Amino acid sequence: MLNLESSYSLRRARLVSADDIAMTCRVRLARNLERERFPDWATGKDRERVLETVCGAVMREAGEFRVSAVAALDEQARDVLCEMHLASQDLMAREVGGGVAYAPDGSVCVMVNEEDHLRIQGFAKGLELEAAWRAADALDTALERHLPYAWTPRYGYLTACPSNVGTGLRAGAMLHLLGLRLLGEIEAVVRGLERMRLLVRGVAGEGSEAAGQIYQVSNMDTLGRDEAETVGRVKRICTEVVRQEYQARVRLVRESPLVLADCLARSLSVLQSARLMSTAEALEFLSALRLGAALGLVTRLKVADVDRLILLMQPGHLQKSLGLALTPEERDEMRAVFLRRRVASLRLKG
Amino acid sequence: MKCELCQKAEAETAIHRKVGAEEQELYVCKACASAGAGPEAGATPEVEQQAAEGCQAVGGVAAFPLMGMILDAAFEIVGRAAVAAGEASCPVCGITRAEYRKASRLGCPACYEAFSEELEAAILDLHRSLQHNGKTPERCQRSRQLAQLERALAEAVQAQRYEEAIALRDQLRRLGGGGAC
Ligand SMILES: [Zn+2]
Ligand SMILES: [Zn+2]
Repeated sequence: MLNLESSYSLRRARLVSADDIAMTCRVRLARNLERERFPDWATGKDRERVLETVCGAVMREAGEFRVSAVAALDEQARDVLCEMHLASQDLMAREVGGGVAYAPDGSVCVMVNEEDHLRIQGFAKGLELEAAWRAADALDTALERHLPYAWTPRYGYLTACPSNVGTGLRAGAMLHLLGLRLLGEIEAVVRGLERMRLLVRGVAGEGSEAAGQIYQVSNMDTLGRDEAETVGRVKRICTEVVRQEYQARVRLVRESPLVLADCLARSLSVLQSARLMSTAEALEFLSALRLGAALGLVTRLKVADVDRLILLMQPGHLQKSLGLALTPEERDEMRAVFLRRRVASLRLKG
Repeated sequence: MKCELCQKAEAETAIHRKVGAEEQELYVCKACASAGAGPEAGATPEVEQQAAEGCQAVGGVAAFPLMGMILDAAFEIVGRAAVAAGEASCPVCGITRAEYRKASRLGCPACYEAFSEELEAAILDLHRSLQHNGKTPERCQRSRQLAQLERALAEAVQAQRYEEAIALRDQLRRLGGGGAC
């Protein structure tokens, strides 16, 4: 039997780094141009005019950005952008007038003609929401010099959906909450967050059955509080959720070591032996492996390694690395091959 | 406190209305109460506080799918008379109230003005606030200043602080007429 106490020493108090639980964070700003119809009601011509205006502003203020119209991207390129969170599926469905511009390092991007004319996004690691906000804010301030944003003193930035009006800001963190799930406490945590008017969504999947137990937690209200208050509040609450997940992991190790060991062992053996693997399945097993890596229970495996696998096994990245366009069935086969190779030498400690 | 719907008159009574599966309580003036659901008495301020904090009407996963229902609720209260008067539309983009309700998406920035009454109720439901406090584009700084002065002036007049009100009025005059935003 595994001796978990010895491999995961609580006395050494290697406080699981917050980044082990908070994976990444982002701040999004919704912006629209005066006297233009919102994208959903605009004609193709309207949207193309807006795209041209916004791309012109981006090129003047951020010449190093990569700029692309959706129509010019093939399916693989679209998948890759979505997997990197630089674009959304909704944007990729906007064949006429949709566009995306992003910094070469992927730290900030603008989606054009998604639900709003502009969706500016800043990204940062862990819970560094202020950094994400600063990145989005700086780009927004630069673009504002060239773009007549729709804004009123009462409602602030006007958006296509009234649920975003005001700051147009949504600040969110991706939290890996498998410990709370294994202890059966995730539903209570999600309910608590919703009572505090935070939006909780699975990164893939729906509601409390988030695929891989990766949740995006973000603010619901955009009117009333200013940007810094909203970002600070989301960060405070997410920090508390991270603390709860940390406590859950400590209790798992102390009180339910068999449940934990079983989950890790099953996941690793499927990853090492499966011949067909869908994206959703792979995410479930990699999620368990990620927990094992955070707890130091898997040999030679760091959390960052698992995060890399989670990105690379997705359809766009998988096909890009192989240099091939594959059918979904072929993808499942190649994904299983890819993951088998990457995890072949891993062992559970004990 | 001020009426939670019109933000103008003093709130005198509580009304209850259903938003999705949740029942919500609002403190409103007489006019808004008679326009909407029947008034019900007896709620305490603490109850209202709890309702505000524990409000799950737009909670969680279903927040955006619920938009339609929230808009419907807002229309029920504010929109009856307007609907009876005929199909309103936005003068700039031309979308009608029915179209925007169906899609839960507005047509253009001017729709906020065109459908201001029912949007006000929906926005209050969504955000529990009706006043932006945050970033202002550089070219809109002046109109924000004007709006702040106008709010301060209205408050001063209502509180009968006339000297302050006169000073505010003079400031407003110096800044001149409406801004670009
Ligand atoms: Zn009223
Ligand atoms: Zn309009």
